[in-house]
Amino acid sequence: MADMAVQSDVMEAAGPYDRAKALSAFKLGDLTFYWITRISAISVLLILGGIILSLIAGAWPAMKEYGFAFLWTQRWAPSADPPVLGALGPIYGTLITSIIAMTIAIPVGIGIAIFLTELCPQMLRRPIGIAIELLAGIPSIIYGMWGFFVLGPFLANTFQPFMIRIFEGVPVLGAVFAGPPSYLSLFNAALILAIMVLPFITAISVDVFKTVPPVLKEAAYGMGCTTWEVVRSVVIPYTRVGVIGGIMLALGRALGETMAVTFIIGNSFRISSSIFAPGTTISAAIASEFAESDGLHQSGLILLGLLLFVLTFFVLAGARLMLMRLETKAGK
Amino acid sequence: MTELSVSTTAASHVPQVPLPEAPPKVTVRSLNFYYGEHHALKNINLTLGTNRVTAFIGPSGCGKSTLLRIFNRMYDLYPGQRAVGQLMLDQTNILDPKLDLNLLRARVGMVFQKPTPFPMTIYENIAFGIRLYEKISKSEMDDRVEKALRGGALWNEVKDKLNASGLSLSGGQQQRLCIARTVAVRPEVILFDEPCSALDPISTAKVEELIQELSEDYTIAIVTHNMQQAARVSDKTAFMYLGELIEFDDTNKIFTSPSDRRTQDYITGRFG
Repeated sequence: MADMAVQSDVMEAAGPYDRAKALSAFKLGDLTFYWITRISAISVLLILGGIILSLIAGAWPAMKEYGFAFLWTQRWAPSADPPVLGALGPIYGTLITSIIAMTIAIPVGIGIAIFLTELCPQMLRRPIGIAIELLAGIPSIIYGMWGFFVLGPFLANTFQPFMIRIFEGVPVLGAVFAGPPSYLSLFNAALILAIMVLPFITAISVDVFKTVPPVLKEAAYGMGCTTWEVVRSVVIPYTRVGVIGGIMLALGRALGETMAVTFIIGNSFRISSSIFAPGTTISAAIASEFAESDGLHQSGLILLGLLLFVLTFFVLAGARLMLMRLETKAGK
Repeated sequence: MTELSVSTTAASHVPQVPLPEAPPKVTVRSLNFYYGEHHALKNINLTLGTNRVTAFIGPSGCGKSTLLRIFNRMYDLYPGQRAVGQLMLDQTNILDPKLDLNLLRARVGMVFQKPTPFPMTIYENIAFGIRLYEKISKSEMDDRVEKALRGGALWNEVKDKLNASGLSLSGGQQQRLCIARTVAVRPEVILFDEPCSALDPISTAKVEELIQELSEDYTIAIVTHNMQQAARVSDKTAFMYLGELIEFDDTNKIFTSPSDRRTQDYITGRFG
């Protein structure tokens, strides 16, 4: 601060009147800039609040009718009289597909990122990088069609019988893979989700891995670390905030993805122990029924939307918490 | 106070009579180095004596750091860089393409210009390197970590916060942590690449003192831009210019009666 004061004194001596005028013009600019940015920031809060309010207003009739039982009722019968609505099926489907998708996408996505930044020969780097980006650019309906016409038949005719043969009679796992073959299934949707979120995890991981200072990696190599040890003990700990950020972004997409999932999940509200059975997710249920719904049914669907909103919020909050705990563990 | 005492010990360290020749630890014979097409090191010949401190001085871009990075094959990480010639660590040919680099780097440790603590606790920063090569119990590890931190002249400052992040230390402490970490894996040679250029004078004095102590057990090569530092800590000094080794002799001789005109110009500050 002292520096600046001295400097402006010197400048004022050179041309006091011009300087004062120029400064007041700056001040006006600063003030305008301050208010523009402030209004932009506040508008986010307003929009968010507005969405939450209208969701609650729309969901109010269903909330009043079903109360908390909505959360653990499995039956979904909108045309019964009076309609019986329960969200357990969509909640279960949303969680299961997202968990399976992330279990597949996280190791593969981070693996690709490690290969691209640490091991890949220069020649291959661009083609693989571009392929990953293209994967992110494919419209989700195309994934849906591919899942329906290619992946579904393969899973039902080849993969599921194979898993059944391996795990038949094994207590829990047997039931997980059992059931009649179906092109439309939770697992099919989960697999498509995994492919869809893969580019997010990879692209963000690659970006943050590139921020590791070369000298830090050299220091680790200089101690005699292998590439694996450098990645595990230096690169990933150094970048974990960014990597987890990428994973959360991917998880957010997996939880909310609608089109591809609606296409291949089967839209069944019944909960089955098998991951090869049809199911539904919150967003798929809304997408497939909203157009022909009214009254309590529509309100129930809006309540489902509110649940998804809350679920996503908790996922993000959980991620924050995890990061904080990781940081205390690392001794920050 | 610390500074004063260091500079006196350092001054007394510079021998009045030439040191007896130490048995060679690292032998460099007609070594050339290329960054792609660029011929960065031209026909280098020198020897690092066992338990001696050898300083490398010269203007920026003269190839000092390049030479240092050949000693532990660090250049291998980057495609397009290659070394030609002969480079022996005792009986091991460092340039052998089949050489196990991890073992080489356990024998030849390196401390960098910028402190590079790993993103983990102070304790783990030390234990990490040891664990790469040895399986030892928790209590043995505690001993080794303490010893290494004492070796890095850092123990008294960090003994109460071993579980704090290595990144929470000051720059000078971080650099001593890096030295302790390097010492902990018990190398034979330690390379210092301008270890003090990011440190304040007091930390610099501490690191210099540490280098002197380490020279009792280790063969040391240090690149520095600070000529007083070279004079204070080293037994031998190599002056490099434009990729060539111009003069290599006892530090005393280099700084009092250099035999090459360019060396004289450089140390008197006429260029560089």
